Amino acid sequence: MESSVVDPPSGREVWLVCPRCHADCLDRDLQPGQYLHCARCGAEVKSPTGGPRAIQAAWAFATAGLLTMIPANTEPILKFDVAGNFQVNHIATGVEGLWNQGFEPIAALVFFSAIAAPAIYLLAVWYVSALVTLRLRWPGRRLFFAVARHLEAWNLMPVFAVACVVSVVKLRTLGEVTWEPGIVWIALLSLFTLLTIQFFDRRFVHVELEENP
Amino acid sequence: MNDAQRFDLSRALVLTGFLLYIPANFLPVMTITITGEVEPLTVMGGVWELFDSGLAPVALIVFLASIAVPLFKLSAMGWILLLHGTNLHRPARMALHGFLFRIGTWAMIDIFLLSVLTAVGQLGVLASVVPERGAMFYAAMLLSTLFATDVYKPWLIWQERNLQPT
Repeated sequence: MESSVVDPPSGREVWLVCPRCHADCLDRDLQPGQYLHCARCGAEVKSPTGGPRAIQAAWAFATAGLLTMIPANTEPILKFDVAGNFQVNHIATGVEGLWNQGFEPIAALVFFSAIAAPAIYLLAVWYVSALVTLRLRWPGRRLFFAVARHLEAWNLMPVFAVACVVSVVKLRTLGEVTWEPGIVWIALLSLFTLLTIQFFDRRFVHVELEENP
Repeated sequence: MNDAQRFDLSRALVLTGFLLYIPANFLPVMTITITGEVEPLTVMGGVWELFDSGLAPVALIVFLASIAVPLFKLSAMGWILLLHGTNLHRPARMALHGFLFRIGTWAMIDIFLLSVLTAVGQLGVLASVVPERGAMFYAAMLLSTLFATDVYKPWLIWQERNLQPT
């Protein structure tokens, strides 16, 4: 961890607030690749921005994710077979089943976290990174940026993929289970979403949106 | 929401979570029927069933993920809230809170599992999986824990004195 008490920029003391523990941290100029860490909790107070290239990558991965989302939702995930009666499962099949059997709150929860939230997150990142890359000042960019920030923690596609694997272990005791192509699309969607989160540089976007009118 | 409200709400959610933990684990979460044999499954029953069918590693994973981890998370969050306003173990509380926040969304795995298994419910008389009342308690418990961690921000750990409850 680096100390935060080094030469303040341009002889004037500027204090930053640690985003994690709210400690006051003395600002200083950073060399490329350097980080400013909070002296109390070690969180990153200031980090180098990835610049426009990172946002272009986020745009690309969000596009890939949105395209992958279509087959991930329309292709069957697995096929379950008991003595000749079979059924193919999609993501939405479970939501429908829960809803029809009187478990509407759980159905809504699954719908939100496995279908709606990933879609809205990728759409928001796609829109914001497109505007930043193309230097457009279209409306709604602040709203979409806020949406992207809030939904980032709700990236549940990897969790859903693992749940599918566990469910297959359970269903094997009841009948014949076979994987269908949908699971590959879900795995790809998880990957693209993780890469989008990785490259979506919030600090850079914030600077672009707020300080370059 | 101000800091005192955050503390109060988080504490209320942890207590709610502890209360919900009991029905969530002892009421059946789903009923599995295969060719006429009806089998109500509690979370703990599911672990035993996996263990008996020779899948001990899977049973261990399900036990950890569905029973041990929720209890650990509630207790850990309770401990963090108990020490709120004191200067004890602050770095440990920060680390624990960060850890709880990172693993938070993995709790949803049980809900997704229920969803994928329920999809089989429409397979007619031969085999069916039907969700039961316990699932509601389980989902409510998971959400209480998730929001308790989310609502109590890490900077509250560094506050000097106890906030007056509103």
